[in-house]
Amino acid sequence: MIDFLQRLVDGVSLGAIYALIALGYTMVYGVLQLINFAHGDVFMLGAMMGWYASSVWTSESRDPSIAGALAVTLFSMLVCATVGLLIERLAYRPLRGSPRLNALITAIGVSFFLEYGGQLLFGPNPRAFGVLPHRPSSVVAGISIGYVDLVTILTSVVLMIVLQRIVFHTRIGTAMRAVSWNPSVAALMGVNIDLVISFTFGLGSLLAAVAGILYASKYPSVHPLMGLMPGLKAFVAAVLGGIGNVPGAMLGGLLLGLAEQLVSGYTSSSWRDAVAFGILILILLVKPSGLLGRGAAEKV
Amino acid sequence: MPFFGGSALKRTGKAVRSWLPFFIAIPFLALIEQGIALNPAFRLEYAFQNINHIGIAIILAVSLNLVNGLTGQFSIGHAGFMAVGGYVSAVMLMRGPEDDPYRIFFVLAMLTGAMAAALAGWLVGKPSLRLRGDYLAIVTLGFGEIIRVIIENTPFFGGAIGLSPIPHRADFAWIWAVAIVTILVAKRLRDSTHGRAFLSVREDEVAAEAMGIDTTGYKVRAFVISAFFAGVAGALSGAFEGNLAPQSFTFVRSFEVVAMVVLGGMGSITGATIAAAVLTILPEYLRAVANLRMVIYSIALIALMLLRPRGLLGTREVWDWWRKRRPPRVPGRREASEALIDVRHATIRFGGLTAVCDFSLEIRPRELVALIGPNGAGKTTVFNLLTGVYPPSEGTIKVLGRDTRGLSPHAIAHLGCARTFQNIRLFRELTAFDNVRIACHHLTHESMAAAVRQGALSEQEEKWVAERSEEMLEIMGLTHRRNELAKNLPYGEQRRLEIARALATGPQALLLDEPAAGTNTREKTELMALIRSIRDRFGVAIVLIEHDMKLVMGVSERILVLDHGVTIAQGLPREIQSNAKVIEAYLGEKYAKEHAAQIAAAGSPR
Repeated sequence: MIDFLQRLVDGVSLGAIYALIALGYTMVYGVLQLINFAHGDVFMLGAMMGWYASSVWTSESRDPSIAGALAVTLFSMLVCATVGLLIERLAYRPLRGSPRLNALITAIGVSFFLEYGGQLLFGPNPRAFGVLPHRPSSVVAGISIGYVDLVTILTSVVLMIVLQRIVFHTRIGTAMRAVSWNPSVAALMGVNIDLVISFTFGLGSLLAAVAGILYASKYPSVHPLMGLMPGLKAFVAAVLGGIGNVPGAMLGGLLLGLAEQLVSGYTSSSWRDAVAFGILILILLVKPSGLLGRGAAEKV
Repeated sequence: MPFFGGSALKRTGKAVRSWLPFFIAIPFLALIEQGIALNPAFRLEYAFQNINHIGIAIILAVSLNLVNGLTGQFSIGHAGFMAVGGYVSAVMLMRGPEDDPYRIFFVLAMLTGAMAAALAGWLVGKPSLRLRGDYLAIVTLGFGEIIRVIIENTPFFGGAIGLSPIPHRADFAWIWAVAIVTILVAKRLRDSTHGRAFLSVREDEVAAEAMGIDTTGYKVRAFVISAFFAGVAGALSGAFEGNLAPQSFTFVRSFEVVAMVVLGGMGSITGATIAAAVLTILPEYLRAVANLRMVIYSIALIALMLLRPRGLLGTREVWDWWRKRRPPRVPGRREASEALIDVRHATIRFGGLTAVCDFSLEIRPRELVALIGPNGAGKTTVFNLLTGVYPPSEGTIKVLGRDTRGLSPHAIAHLGCARTFQNIRLFRELTAFDNVRIACHHLTHESMAAAVRQGALSEQEEKWVAERSEEMLEIMGLTHRRNELAKNLPYGEQRRLEIARALATGPQALLLDEPAAGTNTREKTELMALIRSIRDRFGVAIVLIEHDMKLVMGVSERILVLDHGVTIAQGLPREIQSNAKVIEAYLGEKYAKEHAAQIAAAGSPR
């Protein structure tokens, strides 16, 4: 039982990270109907920038401080948001209105550009990562909760509440939802579509940066290709919850994290990566619109 | 079984001739192999290694082109299927006979590997291709990675170290012979009615379904064939290199193949072939900047999408620049039979909105019925119900005596119910002629295998399809536009092309959704005559949605009026003209009351 609960905690922690990345996928899909393949690499960039900043700012002290971690995170959020905006402006915006296949190919191009451009800049070797202070695990009723897991879960919950407020209770959030329903009508109602789409990319990239830092703290190694698998899994999480649906992405991420930890805990960790794609195929077969998504028939 | 009918000799001769490029190539390949590649005097081992890599790359690019270029789907897991084929055949080869002088066992192993890859393709494609959108990309990427992970963790497949030594069975002649076969198969599929079906899926899935094409079926077929050849490439690669390692089947490999297809032109076989050769050789010269290779690839891809989104060659082939078009032929004739549409109490709701309520309609052969009503009355929804785009929430719809519940749009088109679309849905990037030819698809019988073999039947059918399409174009007065892209036609001609396309499916009932929208008075008069002549010539029943009352009153024999999803009147044109409810629906209650006397007078001559 303890064993099971322990895995549950690990699963929630991992799922929270997936959810943070999935939110970026789902929000961009909501406004552009585009799978932003490069999102996983923005996540990688978040971790990379975290590593750079921390190696410059906190290298002298062996045990980093909370304030340092915050500063590092803010820096990497800033860089990622900028990169996210640039990607949208330079690669995706000129293609708006062209066939979706073209946008998808471009997205993959951008993804590879970031991965291999990253490899050129950072070198292909993994680097050790440590931004958060070392603290002992808390033990509650026999279950040990790692410090990193605790921070991860708390941070994600706070960010998700903030995001929920933004999407459902602010002007720009309303505009985002309007664009996702019908961009041309939203534009007729005076919504600045370009601004909304830029904002969406920026917001998603911010969350990806935080997820990158948290992920790298949990699995303390960063390298230019680290974004691929978590990115894909987060996309699966977004599809699982219903792509385009914000609460769906949170739920999907959580479920995926749990499923992955439980499967790898009870069978073998080499099946971890197979779980996500098993779930994807299953959801495509059974309920392609996802758990919370709405099925949309194409208007003829 | 067409294969056993007719003159066997003639057909064998035909089959041999159709594979002539292959048979001519074989001795040359063998000669080059024996005379140059294996001759130590030339010191060309390294060059031939590259040439063989090019051959394998061509097989990969041409086969992926079938899915990504021709069918407009997006797979980025080609390396995964290559790995399946490669490992299955390598395992067989390593346990096979020491000596295989005639390469019989090698061919067997290669085919087994290819079948395994095709099976994997079916398993992956079946669930993900049912959906529109970009799911296939993610699923195939995931599949490619999982296959690699499985291989790395399975000692039977050599784990992370890989399999070696695999008997060297594939060499220059084998690789290039298979490459030629792949190109021929792809070309023949593309030029057949199946190739047009693939293209129609890429251009507009909804319209393709309405023309009787099983879009999901064709997507899966393209995908499975493509996986099959990826498996062949994997088998060749293993038997040529003498070893297989999971590291060579990463997504980078898949991405390279995607780059070849995209650069060469989505749908162009020669484009894919050339791009495969260039992108295989280029890195050899870029060795100095090997780290930059993937960066250059990705930038080239992005730039290409921004500047020339259809790829360098587009859908064209190299020889299209000097090939002459055949002159149009004189059309033949065909008659339709009878028995038609029967809708009983059909209702459809979208969420809380009842778009069409308790709708009943019977269409008899050769009838000309108009469906009118104010905007938003549910007229197009009725068409969507009839053609199976939406299933009814309640009630039954029978087309030619068959309940359409559970039938997809293409199956209903097969029954004999064709339509046009209010917001024109032509295959925009294809010529007028091809648009019509696609619609003949379900009337053809040749199998994919026959198309590849290019037997007598497929030639006859191709001829028949061409003639039929010319006829349809002529009837609609579009012969002079035969080779124009649909998107470049003027609006009125696009509408006529839609009718030609619908007619080509050989319908018993033709549903026209606002055929006169956007045309002027003279064109409307012509259209009226045309609709009548279509009915008389083809003996089809026509259901017409139209707002132009003059046209409706002039052409239809029976009118049905919808308002807010409810049938408020039906009858002869004259009865409808004086029907108080109809006038109210169109002009408002107030006007109807004020002019009651006038209306009564107008309607009385009966």
